[in-house]
Amino acid sequence: MKFRCERDALVDQLTASSRAVSNRGGALPVLTGVFLSVDDDVLTIIGSDLDLTVRSSLRVTVIDPGKAVVPARLIVDIVRSLDSGAVEISIQGDEAKISGGRSNFALRTLPVDDFPILPQPSGNKVTVTSEALSYGLRQVVMAASSDDARPILTGVLLSAEEGGLRLVATDSYRLAVRDLPDATVLNEGQKVLVPSRALNELIRVLGDADEVVVRLGDRDVTFDVVTDIGSVQVTTRLIEGEFPNYRQLIPSSYPNQVVVAREPLLEAVRRVKLMAREATPLRITQKLNTLELMAITQDVGQAHEEVDAIYDGEELTVAFNAEYLIQGLEAATGDEVVLETLDALKPAVLRSNSGGDFLYLLMPVRVS
Amino acid sequence: MFNDSELSFATGEAEEALPILHVDMDAFYVEVERRRNPSLVGKPLVVGGTSVRGVVASASYEARLKGVRSAMSSVQAKRLCPEAIFVSSDFSTYVEASKEIHEVFFSITPFVETISLDEAFLDVRHALRLFGSSESIAWRIKNDVWETVGLDCSVGVANSKLLAKLASVAAKPQITESGVSAGLGVKIVREADERSFLHAHPVRSLWGVGAATFAKLESLGVSSIGDLAQVPVSSLVSVLGVAHGKHLAMLSKGDDSRSVEIKRPTKSISHERTFEVDIHRYEVLKSEIISLSDAVAARLRSKGLVGKTISLKLRLSDFSLVSRSISIKEGTDLSGQISAKVLGLMAKVDFSDGVRLIGIRITGLGTKGPEQLGLDYESFDQTESNQLALSVTEQKKLAIAVDKIRARFGQSAINPGASGKNFREPGQQRWA
Repeated sequence: MKFRCERDALVDQLTASSRAVSNRGGALPVLTGVFLSVDDDVLTIIGSDLDLTVRSSLRVTVIDPGKAVVPARLIVDIVRSLDSGAVEISIQGDEAKISGGRSNFALRTLPVDDFPILPQPSGNKVTVTSEALSYGLRQVVMAASSDDARPILTGVLLSAEEGGLRLVATDSYRLAVRDLPDATVLNEGQKVLVPSRALNELIRVLGDADEVVVRLGDRDVTFDVVTDIGSVQVTTRLIEGEFPNYRQLIPSSYPNQVVVAREPLLEAVRRVKLMAREATPLRITQKLNTLELMAITQDVGQAHEEVDAIYDGEELTVAFNAEYLIQGLEAATGDEVVLETLDALKPAVLRSNSGGDFLYLLMPVRVS
Repeated sequence: MFNDSELSFATGEAEEALPILHVDMDAFYVEVERRRNPSLVGKPLVVGGTSVRGVVASASYEARLKGVRSAMSSVQAKRLCPEAIFVSSDFSTYVEASKEIHEVFFSITPFVETISLDEAFLDVRHALRLFGSSESIAWRIKNDVWETVGLDCSVGVANSKLLAKLASVAAKPQITESGVSAGLGVKIVREADERSFLHAHPVRSLWGVGAATFAKLESLGVSSIGDLAQVPVSSLVSVLGVAHGKHLAMLSKGDDSRSVEIKRPTKSISHERTFEVDIHRYEVLKSEIISLSDAVAARLRSKGLVGKTISLKLRLSDFSLVSRSISIKEGTDLSGQISAKVLGLMAKVDFSDGVRLIGIRITGLGTKGPEQLGLDYESFDQTESNQLALSVTEQKKLAIAVDKIRARFGQSAINPGASGKNFREPGQQRWA
């Protein structure tokens, strides 16, 4: 195997595929590597941990077709370290030679025959505008849990709702819901649970593409993205199990509604958060036409700021995890947001004042 | 605050203050059992050790006369004293009795340092004007404890904790060849007698002199504290190291400036269990882990604490000790979270030869801070139905309910179904 290509494009595709590679490799040491194959004029790079597989491809100048498995971390670091320009990679015996400019590397390959045969994508192709999907995913994916002890919460629920697509994620402390009214990906009544890790990788590659092709199989889902330099295919296993019944948590009405400009509130929260150290929450007091933000960390100090708002309900103080609040404010769209509260121990709702497509439910922090 | 000279003036006595009292109950568990069942009075009685692998928690003076000691295996105790009556320990009753005794202490002074259920230091320097000399306070405590609780105690009175503790031992009933003789009840160590009193004691009665240190001291020809006081500090330092050597040199001169600490912050909470036969089956160990985790978590909650480091201790059939621990980012007081971590630790241990003892300990304790509340899902992931799969929110609700039920109906009223065990009472087989 021998081929030549541009360093910049190779870095992008190698990085995309290597992100699916697990550091440990688990039972299969060969999975610490990326699978490279060249034929005709295309290089295909596959990284996988068996749950998540990323196949990227790139047009290259092929000198000899062939295939090899190369340690993922090393080859990414090596290619990235090279100057822009031509890179040549060749396999000789069990060694991969990488050269660019006046630099030459040789590294041991992994046994190519050990690389598992990965399932091929299945299901009907549905084409979706990538911008809408990308934006919607970014609005909810941060609310998914990173705790593997509760696998269901590490996923994002995709469900067909009234002809559109609904995205839902929760880590049990907050819940983010986004409706994409025009996206038809699933059949009516269908719902799937996609690992948030795979969706984070998808978000990375969606940025450069206009469209994404979605194929939903029985046990996995595949996203195909064509970019300027080649293509990336993300295949992930679906999470099995029942997503919690989130609908009953969203109250139909709230007694206390505050309307507040989003950016100024976000900036104020970021400032006050500086004094919300460790587990200390940020307290929000709703007063007549004012939101009062406060953070006090014992033995460190305190911060206080007032933000103009539209409010004429009773005075109420609710404490929140500042980071969760920031993520909700970042995800909400529009110039103004509505913060709705019930009391200091009940979930609060944050939504855009202009449209109803995004909703963020956040549990308070109990302060004694 | 008074200093000593003001205090003498204030009390109008030239007498020295001797502010430290050490109160130690006489055969505490035994006497509590006899108070409940008077037919046991006068008979050799052993508390604890009713199971095959058990150890003696406390022995009556009649049994001690035959050589039975606490922490001795019940097998050995039975061999030494076949006629002894064994009763299993009942910690909740001992805790209750201990509370009553502490009420007596607190009626004298708030400066009480609890060492264990049956032992405490009191600093009475601020009580002298109210109650008279520390000697009279000591007798008052002894009488009040007898009258309100019906139990005997011995009181040591001195200028330091070290001397007060040795004095209470000297005040205890004595076991002689002819039998048990009543003790002094109260022993006063006046300043003038400190040296002679202290130096007559064997060096092993000092804190910090265990078997290893004793062997080293013996090599220096030291057997009594008096001998120790004769050894130059430099020699002690060369044998025992700087810190330990200097510390012992100071103690040997009666130099002990530790004050009575009103509250000792809890540093760890632990529970353990010794099995009657070695356990090989994972299921049995798992249910014990759930039971021990439940006990540890309940104690954490009762103290309003959360812990960050969870440790598993196993003594295997060959007596080798295995310890594993894991730290979590946010402190917990939930049994489900503790048992999940312990089961994770357990998975990495080879216990195929059998387990003799299993213990769980939690450290890295802190007070419960602000609590991030969780969303309340009605039904959640019904495919996982065991306790470990409960969400944190559900576990918190469960803990609140369990605590309420136990507060109302007693500790054994509700237990984890997976444990198949009774709740461990506070004080029961802890490991430090």
